Amino acid sequence: MTAETMAPAGSLLAAHDLRKAYGPTTALDGASFSIHPGEVVAVMGPSGSGKSTLLHCLAGIVPPDSGSITYNGRELATMNDSQRSALRRSEFGFVFQFGQLVPELTCVENVALPLRLNGTGRKEAERAALTWMERLEVDDLKGKRPGEVSGGQGQRVAVARALVTNPRVLFADEPTGALDSLNGERVMELLTEAARSTNAAVVLVTHEARVAAYSDREIVVRDGKSRDMERIV
Amino acid sequence: MNVRQWSRDLAMGVRFAFTGGREGWVRLLLTGVGVGLGVALLLLTTAIPNALAARDDRADARWDLTEAWSDEKIPEARDDTLLIAGVPTTYHDTDVRGRELEPEGPKAPLPPGVAEFPAVGEMLVSPALEELLASDEGALLRERLPDRIVGTIGESGLIGPSELAFYRGGEGLSSHLDLGVVARVDGFGNPSTTSEPWDPVLLLLVLVVFVVLLMPVGVFIATAVRFGGERRDRRLAALRLIGSDSGMTRRIAAGEAFAGALLGLVLGAGFFLLGRQAAGSLEIYDISVYPGYLNPSPALAALVAVAVPAAAVLVTLFALRGVVIEPLGVVRTARPARRRLWWRLLLPVGGLALLVPMIGQGSENGEFNQYMVTGGVVLLLVGITALLPWVVETVVARLGSGAVSWQLAVRRLQVSSGSAARMVNGIAVAVAGAIALQMLFAGVEDEFTQMSRNDLTRAQMSVEVPSGVALGTVTGKFEATKGVDAVYAFGETYVGDTPGQDAERITEVTVGGCRALREVASLPSCRDGDVFAVSGGEWDEFTPELAKAGQKLWFDPDYGVEADSVAWTVPGDFKKGRSVEDPTGMKRGGFLITPGALPEEIDRLLGQKVYLGIDRSVPDAYEYVRNTAAAIDPYSDPLVWTSTERSGRFDSIRTGLLVGAACVLFLIGASLLVSQLEQLRERKKLLSALVAFGTRRRTLSLSVLWQTALPIVLGLALAVVVGLTLGTVLLKMTNVPLAVDWTGVLTMTGFGAAVVLAVTLLSLPPLLRLMRPEGLRTE
Repeated sequence: MTAETMAPAGSLLAAHDLRKAYGPTTALDGASFSIHPGEVVAVMGPSGSGKSTLLHCLAGIVPPDSGSITYNGRELATMNDSQRSALRRSEFGFVFQFGQLVPELTCVENVALPLRLNGTGRKEAERAALTWMERLEVDDLKGKRPGEVSGGQGQRVAVARALVTNPRVLFADEPTGALDSLNGERVMELLTEAARSTNAAVVLVTHEARVAAYSDREIVVRDGKSRDMERIV
Repeated sequence: MNVRQWSRDLAMGVRFAFTGGREGWVRLLLTGVGVGLGVALLLLTTAIPNALAARDDRADARWDLTEAWSDEKIPEARDDTLLIAGVPTTYHDTDVRGRELEPEGPKAPLPPGVAEFPAVGEMLVSPALEELLASDEGALLRERLPDRIVGTIGESGLIGPSELAFYRGGEGLSSHLDLGVVARVDGFGNPSTTSEPWDPVLLLLVLVVFVVLLMPVGVFIATAVRFGGERRDRRLAALRLIGSDSGMTRRIAAGEAFAGALLGLVLGAGFFLLGRQAAGSLEIYDISVYPGYLNPSPALAALVAVAVPAAAVLVTLFALRGVVIEPLGVVRTARPARRRLWWRLLLPVGGLALLVPMIGQGSENGEFNQYMVTGGVVLLLVGITALLPWVVETVVARLGSGAVSWQLAVRRLQVSSGSAARMVNGIAVAVAGAIALQMLFAGVEDEFTQMSRNDLTRAQMSVEVPSGVALGTVTGKFEATKGVDAVYAFGETYVGDTPGQDAERITEVTVGGCRALREVASLPSCRDGDVFAVSGGEWDEFTPELAKAGQKLWFDPDYGVEADSVAWTVPGDFKKGRSVEDPTGMKRGGFLITPGALPEEIDRLLGQKVYLGIDRSVPDAYEYVRNTAAAIDPYSDPLVWTSTERSGRFDSIRTGLLVGAACVLFLIGASLLVSQLEQLRERKKLLSALVAFGTRRRTLSLSVLWQTALPIVLGLALAVVVGLTLGTVLLKMTNVPLAVDWTGVLTMTGFGAAVVLAVTLLSLPPLLRLMRPEGLRTE
């Protein structure tokens, strides 16, 4: 069976039987995953269960020890490092728990950064960045540095940065983990709305049911194994 | 705020430093090693003057009359006198101190380090010489010093562990008493210990070298106590959360730095002891010292022990001025107030104000005020550390954004221009000081360098041969020596118009074969038995009056050994010649006499010298010549000619500067690397996140390079300006014409730039490692 035949029909990104260990610690032990365009999938599980490792493998940041990952019908394992980097720059977007904004750059420069890395000129990149900042209601922070804005504002800037390249897949690793519930909910609303408006798929790693509620489907990772969950409405 | 609270907070900081887990220990060790290296260098530097003084004391203790012209001669042999002959030699460019000893009675004094006089045919040697003579490398020297080795000279008789020295037994030395190489002594030791006073310009050089070398060490120590600052700030934020106020937090931080400085003092003492031991096996410019000599003066050591921890506390408090540490784990750097220029300019201006009054003083107008020189140079150089943050801030604030790598670097510099400037401060101070010194050295070099007139195309060595030894035999022996391709042997004396010292008209006499004489004059024809009167000689007044056929003249009896004046009549068939420069660059006048025309009894009155052309492609040619010379006359010390002769002290100061500058740049490079790695480690997660969304490694590497290169370029530019200013003032102080040594400027700037490049290259592998995706893992 080829990787392509293993991927569910119509899926944009799919993984099958992923295994990954860090030294003696097994992070993934036969996990599988798939996501369709425009779909929001929450990856849930307790701390240390392997959810973040699954996200890193799916995004091509970390190669799995075994198993296959296909993006748009293409096996990630066949790509070299620079091809995977190019894929992340142009097709994927990322939001991390603590934003990971570059502290020296202003908010608008942070949002424009992925475009600039893709070769877009500064002015054009910042114009596009500002459009996304408006959509995420943080355009008034454009000249401020990350150290001068609140956690919730910073996270919305990070979401704008993740979406500015119009990615086809948005990876969000505990995007509200460092926020209070009010701010967290606002970030999730804006994130999912923006993703749906661009038909981007969202891989949402979280351990909070409240956050997972924004997804279309949930996958639970436990001891490195994944399991699709039926949503109880 | 009271002392109790201060000490309680400081103590808590110290405790945190030692109980901070693995991370805390790493930070403490980094600071400790950094401060320790600085302390060790400070201690070593302060120990050098003592080491040199100890060397001088040893040299004074073994001083004998062969080392100086002296009127205090002991005319008669006694039972407590010793005849001592200086028999120094040189081997592979290293001086070998040699003495021949002949006790004249049972109470003859023993030289320091010698327990018993060696008998004739025996010698005592220094351990280094013993080792050399036993090795293959010393085979040619062994030929020159064939006596049986019966013991070694003790430490008290040597000025350094690498010194090559020997004492050998001698006999019949009394017959050489009047030749200057043998003295009769009844004890060792320099009766007048007042040493030759230092030339004010040399003293100025020493002072500036010390300041220039020590300043960057101080800057380095100040940087080292701030290692790990960002991580510490986060820890301090946690303390704020549990109720410590901002003052307490600062004092706790100072306590942590204090602990690092204390550990640094302990490590520094350890490094110093290791360095001291290693110094025993080092030899720099023929100077080696026993480890026991390298003792810093107690006052200076105490100053280091007090000043370093105190400076650590002050630097930390100063550094925390612009940082607001808040609870909730957030450290917000308050937008710093714009740096003001006026007070920063006060330092260099103050330095210039101290130096300017000494302009025009030079060597002739008395000594420079040491305190004003030191203070002025220190203020000017400290001025760099004050001005550089302002320069970096002002320039980077005006830089536009370009490529992503450039933008990342410039923005980071705009946010933390202070720490960027701090990283470069040490290099800038070292380079500025070195540029100024290079200028000073280049300027005063002429004062301490004499161009020798020797014509190195004709001869490269000269040997004095004692009177009475036939020049023909000597010439034959040197011609047969390996590596010698030309031999010009001359006998030299004077003739006067009356016998003895009363002669009013005197002229030179040069005796030699026709080939040799053609080296000193242009002759119409020449064969053995000819006599020439030469015109055109330097300082020659009387040849035209004395060179008359039948004129009766007297060879000078006072030249050489005592003898009655020997009369000589100018022959009727004497020829005329015209003087040309001899191999020493002199133009001789007077008479040139071939051996066949010389009265027999004159031989013993001649001073004899042989000039030798050397085939430098023959390895060890100089050593073969020295061996031949020693076989002809054990007291000979052949001279190797060079185009310049420089003051030994001048050379050693210049070497000291280069060695010191290399050590300092290495030290600063190490601190730059540590700071750079620390910054990168702090940004591990961010770097991984940047890579996660596709940032090229090249972009991040380039941004690190820009981030280092920009402050370096600004720092070096400022260093060049301050260095040239200081150099100009120093040159004007010494009354030397102003000239910029651009090669020196470029060399020193290049050194500084090379250090930065090396640091950047060395930080790339860790940078690439830190950019791995593993950095994103949190569990």
